[in-house]
Amino acid sequence: MSYVFDLERSAKGLRLNRFLHGLTKEEKRKLFLEKPEEAMKALNDEEKQMVRRLDWKAMQDYGASFFCLEKLARTKGVSNPEMVAAFRGETLEQFLKTRRIPGAR
Amino acid sequence: MARIIGGIGTSHVPTIAMAFDKGKREDPDWKPLFQGYERVARWLEEKRPDVLFFCFNDHATSFFFDHYPTFALGVSDEYAIADEGLGPRRIPPLKGHAALSRHIARSLVDAEFDLSIFQDTPLDHGLHSPLTMMWPSQPEWPGRVVPLVVNVIQQPLPRPSRCFALGKALRKAIESYPEDLKVAMVGTGGLSHQMIGDRAGFNDERWDREFLELIDQDPERLARMSIEDFMRLGGNEGAEIIMWLIMRGALAPNARKIHQNYYLPMTTAMAVAVFE
Repeated sequence: MSYVFDLERSAKGLRLNRFLHGLTKEEKRKLFLEKPEEAMKALNDEEKQMVRRLDWKAMQDYGASFFCLEKLARTKGVSNPEMVAAFRGETLEQFLKTRRIPGAR
Repeated sequence: MARIIGGIGTSHVPTIAMAFDKGKREDPDWKPLFQGYERVARWLEEKRPDVLFFCFNDHATSFFFDHYPTFALGVSDEYAIADEGLGPRRIPPLKGHAALSRHIARSLVDAEFDLSIFQDTPLDHGLHSPLTMMWPSQPEWPGRVVPLVVNVIQQPLPRPSRCFALGKALRKAIESYPEDLKVAMVGTGGLSHQMIGDRAGFNDERWDREFLELIDQDPERLARMSIEDFMRLGGNEGAEIIMWLIMRGALAPNARKIHQNYYLPMTTAMAVAVFE
């Protein structure tokens, strides 16, 4: 239980989560894919850098909600197993070896 | 009078919707999941409930952390399908039952469950990833839904005992509705999984199977557990199975499990069970 999305994390991650949540809107996804810097202008430099690198673990540690990260992952065509592998510090291939049905994704 | 004819507990993993939308019914990796829902779909076809009352959670889709409700009840006659980053699923909007929802809202607040109320809000996979496995969406949905959104993603979460008590209050609320309606309760979520942190990828089939026994035989014991117990045993995100306790609390005390399926292919244990 080392990681819990609580009110402290939610407060720290609010601006980043708001950006990620915005990707539920098609026009914001389009802007992010075409002009990412303009789409991210409300974020600070540290947040922008994490989003540019799609650094899932850094965003999680910073205060991003997993469910907001899913919106960015869908926008960039990244699957949940890829994100979970990143949180574990593994490649997708390494992670899939620990699963019962690696094709079910 | 309205009456509760039984209940369903089901996972709401988004890949269930993905497998359904991509037509994976005969894919060997997914067949055990689809087969597990066949009995559920048959049960619904035979019992023909007018309304499915859904206890589920929004995944920071239609609700955001600027104002995140603990319990929120939908009171609309229609709910759009939410866009979660890939565009909305191509299924018809959900039909709601505004009159029943409003009655439930008044009854629950009178019973001191001070809910948030929402309307004209799109609903995400927490509701419709399992729904399409159980109910045909074509030519149109065979009935209506009443959505209850529960906060299971931002701590503090409601206590398991509160969820069970809410289920009991829901039984009184639904059964005091004057129109003759058949209502089936649906509790969603789980089973064991953790998507984040050091334990990302965690599952425990032994605990899952114990949970599936207890939710049938001794839900009071589950209701006495803490959120921390659920997180430790089933993973942080797995604690969302407290929403099954709302469903179970609304059923007749002598209701029994008549079907169960369990499948753990990837990151989340996918289970479904029927009670009547």
